[in-house]
Parts: sequence; C-alpha cells; structure tokens
Amino acid sequence: MSAAATAIKPSTETEPQSGARLVVSTLEKLGVEVLFGYPGGAIMPIYDAIAGSKLRHYLCRHEQGAAFAADSYARVSGKVGVCMATSGPGATNLVTGIANAMLDSIPMVCITGNVAQGVMGMDAFQEVDILGVTLPIVKHSYLVRSAADIPAVIEEAFHIARSGRPGPVLIDLPKDVQFEMTDAPRGIHLSNEIDVAEASIIAEAEAAIRAAKKPILYIGGGAKISGAVEAVRDFARMTGIPQVSTLNALGTIPTGQDNFLGMLGMHGTRAANEAVQDSDLLIVVGARFDDRATGKLTEFAPHAGVVHFDIDPSEIGKLRKVAVGVTGDLKPNLEALNARLSRGAAIDVSGWADQWRIRSAETAFDYNAPGEGVFAPQLLNELSQKAGPNFIAACDVGQHQMWVAQYCEFSRPQAHITSGGLGSMGFGLPAGIGAKLAEPDACVVTITGDGGVMMNIQELATVNRFKIPLKIILLDNSRLGMVRQWQEFFFERNFSEVDLSDNPDFVKVAEAFGIPAFRIDRRDQVSAGIDRLLAAEGPILAHVIIDPADNVWPLVPPGKNNGEMLEGSR
Amino acid sequence: MSDTIHILIDRADGALQRLIGLVERRGFHIDAMDMASEGSALRIALTVRGRDAGRSITNLGQQIDRLVGARRVSNDAAFRFEAA
Repeated sequence: MSAAATAIKPSTETEPQSGARLVVSTLEKLGVEVLFGYPGGAIMPIYDAIAGSKLRHYLCRHEQGAAFAADSYARVSGKVGVCMATSGPGATNLVTGIANAMLDSIPMVCITGNVAQGVMGMDAFQEVDILGVTLPIVKHSYLVRSAADIPAVIEEAFHIARSGRPGPVLIDLPKDVQFEMTDAPRGIHLSNEIDVAEASIIAEAEAAIRAAKKPILYIGGGAKISGAVEAVRDFARMTGIPQVSTLNALGTIPTGQDNFLGMLGMHGTRAANEAVQDSDLLIVVGARFDDRATGKLTEFAPHAGVVHFDIDPSEIGKLRKVAVGVTGDLKPNLEALNARLSRGAAIDVSGWADQWRIRSAETAFDYNAPGEGVFAPQLLNELSQKAGPNFIAACDVGQHQMWVAQYCEFSRPQAHITSGGLGSMGFGLPAGIGAKLAEPDACVVTITGDGGVMMNIQELATVNRFKIPLKIILLDNSRLGMVRQWQEFFFERNFSEVDLSDNPDFVKVAEAFGIPAFRIDRRDQVSAGIDRLLAAEGPILAHVIIDPADNVWPLVPPGKNNGEMLEGSR
Repeated sequence: MSDTIHILIDRADGALQRLIGLVERRGFHIDAMDMASEGSALRIALTVRGRDAGRSITNLGQQIDRLVGARRVSNDAAFRFEAA
C-alpha cells in the first residue's frame, strides 16, 4: 500500500543533533509508524529529517485531509494520530481537523512549523499565531523555544493526548528551533496513573441500579476510548438492562443484540427515545448529554435519576444533575461495578426489558420504499451485511451519515467512524484513508454525499498515489440534503442555496484521479453494485444516484423532547 | 452574583489567554482580576459572574482544573497556595 520505508540513517547520540532530527527520532522512539502532512517553508527542516527515517509519511493534498486522516487513524488503531503542517495557511488548514478531534476526544498530536522566533510578532510571511488560534480547540499546546526541549515536549504531548480524556495537542516549532543544534536533549519521565473511583462511590452506583425498576444503560463514545467495550457488554449481559447508544458509541453493543434499542436522539430509534423518556434511572457511561442526543434538555428523561460514569469530572453535573457521579477511568470503574453486581442477587428487570424488546420490533426501521430508484437505507443495510464483521464505515456528514447510523450493522465501535461532535463535512474521504491504513485487512468503505465529498475531493489523489484499496460509496441527491430537509419542515420549503445539481460527473472525476468508478441509479443494480465494490482489489468508487426528496426519519424537531418524533414515509 | 476563583497556573506561552478564553467561552463575565508571579507559575484571582442562571462556578472550576498547566484551583477565599 505504501512505498517501502528506507532504513534509518545511523546516528550517534553523542553528536549534536538539530531540533528537526530530534523531532523525527523522538517520534520513532514513541513508536509512531504513520503520519499525515503537507510540507511548506517553515517546516522544511523536519521534512528534510523525515527523508530516510522509519516514519511512513502520507502526503495528503490539503492539511485538513491530513488532520482528518490522522484523527481516523487514531480512532481505528487506538494509537495517537499524528499530522504535520507548515506555518500560516498550513496551520490554519488544520484547525477544523483539530476541532473535530477535540469534540470527539480523539488523541492526536499536530506538529506545525512556524516562522523563526526573531520575526514572530512582526507579521512575517506565513506567520499566524496558531497557538492562539487553536487555544479553544486543543487539550493542550506548546510553543517550543529551545531544541533541547523537543524530546520532553513531544513525549509529554503524546502522554497528554492519550491520557485521561483524550484530545488533540498542538506543538508549534519555530524554524530556528528546528535548525538549532543541541547535544543535551532533555527527556522526561511520565507516570501512567489510572484514576479509579472510591469503592464507596461504586457501592452507591450499585445501590441505585438495584433500586431502579426501569433502568436504561446510556452508552457514549467514552466506552470505546477507555477500552471499556467488554466491560459494557458484560454489564449489559449480566443485568439485562436495555441499552441505548449515542452516535459515537454505535457498535459498542453489536447491532441486533437482545435489549439493544439502538441510537437515541434527534435521529434515534423510536424505541430508544421512548424507553429513555420512560426510564427511572439512566446509567450513563462515557457520554456527555450532547443536545443531539437529549433533545430539549429540560424534558429529557424527566423521571430518571442519573448514575454518571466519566473520566472528566467537569462533565458530571454539567448539563444534568446526578444522583451518583463516578469519576475516573471507565474501564476499571465499570469492572468494579460488574464485580459487585456479580456477587449479589441477580438484577431482574425482565418485564421492563421485554416491553422494550417488543416495542423495538414493532417500530423497527422499514427498508422498503416505493419506486424503482435507489433507497439508500436498504443499500447501506445490504452493504454492511455483505461486508461482514471486518466492515468499517467511514462517514461524511449529512443525511447519509444518519442513514449509516440507523441502517448499517456494526459488530464493534471501530466499525463506525463518524464526525460526531463537530459534524464536519469533508471528513469521509480522509477518514477512510486513515482507517484503511490503521487496519489494512478491514473492509473500509467511505460513505459520503455529493456535498461532503467535494470538500476534500483532492484526497482521491492521496488514495491513488498510495494505491490505498479504499472503497467509496457516494450517495448523490444533488442537494445539501440535511439542510434541504430542515428547510422543507422548518423553513416553509424555502430551499435556499442547497441545489448542487451542477455537480461534476463523479465517475469521470474519480477516473481522472486514476480510480475506477461506476454508477448505480436503479434499485435493481444495487446488489450487483455492492458485490462489485466489495470484490475490487484496489480503490473503487460507486456513484449512487438517490432521490432528492428522501429524508431521514424519525426526526425530533428542534426545541422538542425526544418523545415527539416526526415520521415520514421515506 | 459574583464568585472569586483562585488559580495557580504554569507560566507558559498562551497560559493567560487560555485561561481567560476558557472562562469567557464557558459563559462567565470577568469583573476583576488580580495576578502575581510566583516562581514558574502565575497566581491569579478571578472574580467572575455567570451570564445566565445556568452557569455553575463549581463546573467552571472543574473546567479550569482540566487545563494541563493548572496546578491548583480553588474558590475558597482562605485558600493558600503551596510554594510553586
């Protein structure tokens, strides 16, 4: 898939090294294999040092693509994603990708070059205060002023990015620091303390769960991030408590499992939303009461107490008062809870669980729609079934993103890569690249729309250059579909600036980038089209024409509670 | 109603900007600020007021405490920081 790495040049630690060389050697020492970036003037010393190193650098065609690819690589591999860019416009092009990682708590280290310290603050060519620009969207950031600090800063940055609640860390390196020679690099020793709650708090959580008659397990993206997937599944198996999932947690409980009611929230299932509204206890694990999940917050689960597990103390009680707040690493805390529960009497909420299993079947999504046109939900369901347990969907943002969440089947959380918190169009294509490099044997499919794909379509060149065998499904309704849908229902059908009917011929575009492509525009072509896509050995794009009138259902209107779902026929 | 929050934070590039930005972004007005150097740290007392009733000073303290450079955070007027 990638060009073979050349052997690292031998170096002796006693000789002075440049800051740029220290960046590369520290990344190698930390086990970084893959990074994404785009060179430019202020980061040239580092690019000079990368040549001949063990690092596999993937040249993307836009820094935003590099940041999104690093983010997705981190989501799938569980490692820290790394991206690099030059100063000024290179650094500012990373911003959306950094914000994306921040909102979904993804461990990422972003290295930017900057102008030399002597001209900082002088409005030098390609100078931007990127540390200042990114302050609200990073977990932490550094401006490195001495080459000797580089190893310690990079090691600390990796530690911060992946520890506690993960997030992106920015390292800004002035050009003079990259050139500076040093023979006394400072190392660092970092402890890996695991934050575990007091046993008495776990006991309080257990008591609340045992007292509940109508409990719901509300699973967030933190379950995957903390490595608590098995602990969550054990809890669900042991207690029989019905489960709902946020968008970012899909796959934590495999699709179709007993007592799993699906996604809650604006485009969640009827059963999930109704069960939450009716519950008397929410057991929240690694979720943050995002407004897309809760609907009108003051009317969310109005009768429920809350037991909230989260590593971030500032999330507990932020939006919803809790009966029990369990702060700390989710995995050991949930394992401790499971151990306590297993020692006592079995939890029996079978009547409550049966009620929702029946309701879930009664209100299941309908895969049929009239007409001969392609019905995206049916296509996506068939795709995920045929792709099997190795399936990874790398989504863009919009209607198709919600259809993927609703209709695809996921056996693990790594199978569903989506821009949840930020909802950033353009994520799908670079996210597919990052996911495929993280798991080369997985069946990675980028699922994108005609709006989103155009925002990072240049990354088709990255796919082609490295011959990344990424499969791409482009669902084309010639509209900004989600905006069009909202205009239809909440803006009196005033379809302002959502017409994309002058899109290019995407098959020709893909072929121009060297990627085979074909079109699906009738329902009877779907099965064969999916087979062709999945059988391809190299990259391939399927351009799928869908009806612009198709909407995402159910829909909780803005300002309404999750019990007030609109439904449409298709 | 205003509250005073006491912070000991590493003196580093962007530290003050990071702190002030967080406080304002989380929905608080800053009515007064007192700052002094203390070794490799800055000792800051911020008097803040929530923009609306939904803003919790406790939650703000937790969010400040989440900053990597924040060594100590307290809303206790009698609080004394350890030597930096």
